Amino acid sequence: MASATSTLDTMVLSIAQSLSAVERTFYKLPGSAIIERYVRSSHQNDPGRTFLELIIFFLVVRTLLQSRTRADRNNGKNFIEFTDKEIDELVEDWVPEPLSKPLDDVEAAELAAIPVVAGHNGPHPTLVNTGKPTINLASLNFTGLANNEHVKQRSLEAMRRYGVGSCGPTGFYGTFDAHLQCENDIAEFLDTEGAILYSQGFSTISSAIPAFCKRGDIIVADRAVTLAIQKGMEISRSTIRWYDHNDLHSLEEVLQSVEKERRKRKGPLTRRFIITEGIFERDGTMTDLPKLIELKQKYKYRLILDESFSFGTVGRTGRGLTELYNVKASKVDMLVGSCAIGLCASGGFCAGSRTVVEHQRINSPAYVFSASMPPLLAVSASEGINILRDTPSLLTRLQENVRAARVLLDQVECISIPSHPASPIIHLYLRNNSSSDNLLHPSASMSSSKPSNPSSPIPRDPPVFDIEKEERLLQEVVEEAMAQGVMITKAKRARGLEITEAQPSIRLAMSSALSKADTEKAVHVLVKILKRKFR
Amino acid sequence: MPASSYPTSPMALNRGSSPTSSLFKKQKNSSSSPSTAASYLSALSQADARARNAQRGTPTSTPALSLSSSLTSSTEDTVLAEEDTDDSDGLAVPVGKPPNSEQLYTTVHTEFGHCYNEEYRNISQHPLGAPIVRHVDQEPPYYILFSTYISYLILIVLGHMRDFLGKRFHSYSYRHLMPHDGYAPLNSDFDSFYTRRLKQRMDECFLQPVTGVAGRTISLLDRYTPDYNHTQIMLDTRTRALNISSYNYLGFAQARGGCADAVEEGMKRYGVTFCGSRLEGGSSDLHILAESVVAKFVGMEAAVISSMGFATNSTFIPALVSKGCLVISDELNHASIRFGVRNSGAHVRMFKHNDMKALESLLREVISQGQPKTHRPWKKILLIVEGMYSMEGTMVDLPTVLTLKEKYKFYLFVDEAHSIGAIGPHGRGVCDYFSVDPRKVDVLMGTFTKSFGASGGYISGNTALIDRLRIRGYSGAYAEAITPPVLTQIIASMASIMSIDASVGLAVSVNKLGLPTSSSSSSTLHQVTEYHHPGPISQRALPHWLSLPPPLASGAEGLMRLRRLSFNSYYLHRGLDKLGFITYGHPSSPIVPLLIFNPAKMIMFHRMMKDRKTPIVIVVVAYPATPLVTSRVRFCVSASHTKEDIDSVLRACDEIGDVLDLKHGLSKGERWSVNEVCERAVELVHIPDNEH
Repeated sequence: MASATSTLDTMVLSIAQSLSAVERTFYKLPGSAIIERYVRSSHQNDPGRTFLELIIFFLVVRTLLQSRTRADRNNGKNFIEFTDKEIDELVEDWVPEPLSKPLDDVEAAELAAIPVVAGHNGPHPTLVNTGKPTINLASLNFTGLANNEHVKQRSLEAMRRYGVGSCGPTGFYGTFDAHLQCENDIAEFLDTEGAILYSQGFSTISSAIPAFCKRGDIIVADRAVTLAIQKGMEISRSTIRWYDHNDLHSLEEVLQSVEKERRKRKGPLTRRFIITEGIFERDGTMTDLPKLIELKQKYKYRLILDESFSFGTVGRTGRGLTELYNVKASKVDMLVGSCAIGLCASGGFCAGSRTVVEHQRINSPAYVFSASMPPLLAVSASEGINILRDTPSLLTRLQENVRAARVLLDQVECISIPSHPASPIIHLYLRNNSSSDNLLHPSASMSSSKPSNPSSPIPRDPPVFDIEKEERLLQEVVEEAMAQGVMITKAKRARGLEITEAQPSIRLAMSSALSKADTEKAVHVLVKILKRKFR
Repeated sequence: MPASSYPTSPMALNRGSSPTSSLFKKQKNSSSSPSTAASYLSALSQADARARNAQRGTPTSTPALSLSSSLTSSTEDTVLAEEDTDDSDGLAVPVGKPPNSEQLYTTVHTEFGHCYNEEYRNISQHPLGAPIVRHVDQEPPYYILFSTYISYLILIVLGHMRDFLGKRFHSYSYRHLMPHDGYAPLNSDFDSFYTRRLKQRMDECFLQPVTGVAGRTISLLDRYTPDYNHTQIMLDTRTRALNISSYNYLGFAQARGGCADAVEEGMKRYGVTFCGSRLEGGSSDLHILAESVVAKFVGMEAAVISSMGFATNSTFIPALVSKGCLVISDELNHASIRFGVRNSGAHVRMFKHNDMKALESLLREVISQGQPKTHRPWKKILLIVEGMYSMEGTMVDLPTVLTLKEKYKFYLFVDEAHSIGAIGPHGRGVCDYFSVDPRKVDVLMGTFTKSFGASGGYISGNTALIDRLRIRGYSGAYAEAITPPVLTQIIASMASIMSIDASVGLAVSVNKLGLPTSSSSSSTLHQVTEYHHPGPISQRALPHWLSLPPPLASGAEGLMRLRRLSFNSYYLHRGLDKLGFITYGHPSSPIVPLLIFNPAKMIMFHRMMKDRKTPIVIVVVAYPATPLVTSRVRFCVSASHTKEDIDSVLRACDEIGDVLDLKHGLSKGERWSVNEVCERAVELVHIPDNEH
């Protein structure tokens, strides 16, 4: 008994001794006083507080030690443990879908009916499909630069100077003097501080948007923007608000609601962008630029304007919407255009202030991670600009042809034309038998009813159309016209990949390379087919 | 010297006898090596005179292949046609033995170097059955890692201090980074910190404007900055430099020669553009021809061409996978793949770079777990890997991937942007390199920028898949079609690598070159209708107006390019290793990364290479393209480089490496001196992979 207490005593004593030794060494440590003070002040005779701090401390340690790469796996209770044998069985059982569905008959027939040009494309190409020369209302050759001998000659010379490929991304010896020259020419032409050249028109805007818009930023976009813009916005991960197609009244409402939302949340100031097109790829409508600029300035948004179809096609010398409305191009923060469409070369550009341009040179994926455009195409784009600048008659002729075509087309009852009268691309919708005429002017029908939900890309009264049927009918028209020597095309879509489906349409592209008589002749053929088919 | 146009060029005449032996025979008779420009040129004119005499003797033997287009006479494919023969930088005139008459007139030395020594060739092929040598990352000494981290720390601290003070005392220059007039800054100071405070210090290494052909040499447009890289002022002078940076693997970046002549002809016939997208009136017969050539080249049923390499991935991947599908992606995959995958809406999982064990365990996990939350099985799993990785030079372990594919039933997408044309005994990419049937891979994607001197990209696979992509990929409906000059360049360069089989009449006897031909080389009228991969392409599969000069048409030059590229890749890779540097990647890859580590050394390396008597331009890559510590120089060798060019790169690296303390690879005892490396180059190249 006594021996037991004595052993206990010695134990207690030795523990006390070692504790005091630990204490002494602790105080000898540099900085120990600070820790002590911290513990004392946080403890404050309340063990609960110390306990809480300890818990927090352990949580922090645990988080730090946790492997980050396996987060996916340990993501909650969802992970099921399997034995190797079970996994083998699951692997055995799993049957993947085929990588791609083969085309069905309709799709295959449509692919086979795609017009294929033999040799030089231009106003009167010969088609492989029919073997006959046709009048071309399908290819994008608005100002006829594709057939310009001077451009061709200069491009040939450029090829003999630079070769074909640039063999490198812009950052690493892929920036040729031809590219710099082209960028300068564009900037000068538009009167902006600078411009940056991308190697594909489509990828220009879908890469420029994520270069500026990041998570948390706000984008207010038109409901009918083209796929390239949709994809760019998707990559950007920004918050997207939609306004009704080409309805600036709806835009203003959305801008107000965004502002209200921000005030309510008292969030920090984020970047805000309005993204829309000059002439819409989907239907050829045109944005009222002065009003848009006014709204953008009032609500302090930046404007990303896709002028792919308006640059090189409208305005006195083809400078696009800014020239048409006499607005300074520098008022558009990011003016995106296409050298492929407007200048019959290749690639695209984004013009704007020096900051805007230089920012993209480092942050825009399609610029940074892609080989630069072949220098000879940059040269042909530069030449295109020179020609546009010096020959305004090209644009006048284009507008004459547009007017001539519209005069004929506007009389046709079975179709409706959403496109702006000055737009060089003319979309033809089949007019539904029912009285859904309103869908052409969504703003008109919408003004009375409640506005659409800005966070959904689908408008309140979505237009009704039967994609399959209309596509089929239009395809028949297209093929018939082709048989009669007029090359036209439907507006081709990647169905199922766009956010909202566009109404099927025939898309005519006017060209100043065609004479007025030829244009009228071709449109007349089309009108006759339409009239006969949809009486 | 008058222009000797191609169809009547002296080269054409020798085909009757034996083009192969004359092209590749070692020239042992030239005893002395005139090294000066003058003696070289005199040798040249003698050779020319000889050739012209021969021409007068036999004027009738014009080969069948060169019947059409005698209009392309504007080419002056002689060495003399160069802009200047000023050889002060040692780049204008070849070093070493002068060539004889048969070897002249095909390339311009500054675009595509003259190298006639048959020893400087190698075949890029994985020895069948041999184990695949995995790349082992060498670790630098700790003091290097430490100093690298310290450098970044100093840069970051300094940068923040400058920002802190600058915003207070010089607020105007920070205006674009601060909210103003109710606008949030376009780029916050935090987001752009790296760009402003680290990258801008070494801006002289980036965005260097150039002119001329990005071939063996390139002309830099000189510039200088008066204000620490805020502005760059262009000068009027130019510097010609040895170009070991451009993606010009097979040396097809040429403004003169057979391919360029073909491009000129193509432009005359097709113009500069096709106006519009493929599905909306921008298609032409040339597209269809080119796509079939590409499909044959890669050994697939069909192919679709896009006008931009980046867009090939970013616009076609969303047409392959969608929500409910899983994409397994190598962690070092290119940005375009990430872009496309993100647009597709598919779920993504990544695995450690080239780690097949990690891949297998990931596959087991994802297949057994199914989709997150719902545990439904995946609709399909697509594995996306690159044939060759652009920053590492590593090669995918294709045989293992294919074994896994059989077991785990995923679909395989191989991005051959850097490997197509660059590796394999026939230049057909990784499948060729590993002697694997390309059709075992579901989707082969590649670009034309790197090996073919063109631009754009392709996707190839079975016909059903490609047809689906034609209408479902965004490129078809929305993006502009690829242009005629680029298409012609693609067709011409690919045909010259494949070699053209005229099949009737004068059969091109390529067998003597060791090029496996499927057709019998006997002179019977055996018509080759079917294409056998990898073999020559039938003349009828090409545009009727395309006529390549005999060395290109016979495939002799294509083969020479492949073998020179392989030699150069191995030589630079192993040379640098032997000198004691740390390099990454597979020795047969034309991408040779040399590790530098410290950020400040990058700019010094760049500048010292450029300021040499023979200037060399290089590419330096750092974070965020690479991990923070492993900053590197990335050499891209080309078939257009001569052995002497690689020698001079090695010598330069050796000198600079000593100054900058970059040799952390082999220990001092194992290293070779630079002279030894240059002398024993051939021996070095031919060491088998697994013994090195």
